[in-house]
Amino acid sequence: MNIGVKVQLAPFDMAYGYEDLLAQRTDVGAVVSFTGLVRDFNESPEVTGLTLEHYPGMTERTLEDISEQAWQRWSLQGVRIIHRIGYMAPGDPIVRVSVASVHRRDAFEACDFIMDYLKTQAPFWKKEHAQKGDYWVKERDTDQHDASRW
Amino acid sequence: MQLTHLNARGEANMVDVGDKQATRREAVATGRIMMQPQTLKLLVDGALPKGDVIATARIAGIQAAKRTHELIPLCHSLSLSKVALDFDIDEQYECVHVEAMCRLSGQTGVEMEALTAVSVACLTLYDMCKAVDKTMRIDAVQLESKRGGKSGDYQRDGSGYENVPPIVTGTGAAGEVSIGERCASPCVRVKFLAELRERLGESEAIINLDEMESRDVGGLKVALAKRSDIFAALSDRRALCAVNQVMANDNAPVTDDDEVAFFPPVTGG
Repeated sequence: MNIGVKVQLAPFDMAYGYEDLLAQRTDVGAVVSFTGLVRDFNESPEVTGLTLEHYPGMTERTLEDISEQAWQRWSLQGVRIIHRIGYMAPGDPIVRVSVASVHRRDAFEACDFIMDYLKTQAPFWKKEHAQKGDYWVKERDTDQHDASRW
Repeated sequence: MQLTHLNARGEANMVDVGDKQATRREAVATGRIMMQPQTLKLLVDGALPKGDVIATARIAGIQAAKRTHELIPLCHSLSLSKVALDFDIDEQYECVHVEAMCRLSGQTGVEMEALTAVSVACLTLYDMCKAVDKTMRIDAVQLESKRGGKSGDYQRDGSGYENVPPIVTGTGAAGEVSIGERCASPCVRVKFLAELRERLGESEAIINLDEMESRDVGGLKVALAKRSDIFAALSDRRALCAVNQVMANDNAPVTDDDEVAFFPPVTGG
């Protein structure tokens, strides 16, 4: 299995994963990448930033486990997940998932699956900072519903 | 380090921003105007001769931000996407704190606009209160934070709400499993994470196995609830649990030196 997961405080390069997935091989037919960003509106209209907390150790294991499940379900050539923690400002990338496969459908579906599972299973918690104060973001039923599709 | 507004011959020079990439930029500046307690009271009561002081100062600050380029010689004219001013009347320190936030997506920073907005808002407060108070003083006009652009983000140390340290649960670095101290007698190490930690006011607890009626997660919850009522929150349906970093329910067994974490539903991605 060609799987790589990373959790870090520092901002990440948007090329992360892509170059790595294609290094020294020419049999890859498709790479699908998803990037999640900090919005300046969410539960309150004026979000000034957010702080992401996680559970070191369990986070990485969960992301690896989700990648492995994707590997079993689709025909993949590589998976890379990078997720930031700590303080982020609106516009900052939070997460990037890149999936490589021979044909596009596998990569599209696996990427979608990984994000649905990441959002409902990986131990990350967002605290939003807004003009009116700080609060913990509530989980969304739609995310649970999305994850139950698979 | 070089002053960008001076050219190679040391002459004043407007920086060519045409080649810079348009990025989202934001700057926050603050300042304050000190005044007599009586003046402050008149301001709060809205009893000053020139009327609603704060509303006027807010408009003045916004207008000033938009016209910064007319005041500061080498400043570019910018189309700001957002200007917000906040006023905080501080009776303890007998002053009004002014905070301005300017934002745009463009090729040059907005700290001059934020600083100008604060300065002019303070001057407007002065103008509207000067009939009753000549002792007022404007000071501490400063940049608090700046985001976006080549020179990177800036955050003044020890400032207000944006200066939130990153929270990372546990002492282990990313990728490591943090190992706590071993207990003298057989025990379970309990962690409370995220919103649950803040609600309980506790981040960790140690429970001796002897305190537990049954050696599983359910028994651990009972033992915690016996220590303090606040831990009744752990029986809430929304409180999740992991034993040694694997999701677990009330029937999951726990033994000596296990790490049990309680946390709210996850919200990553």
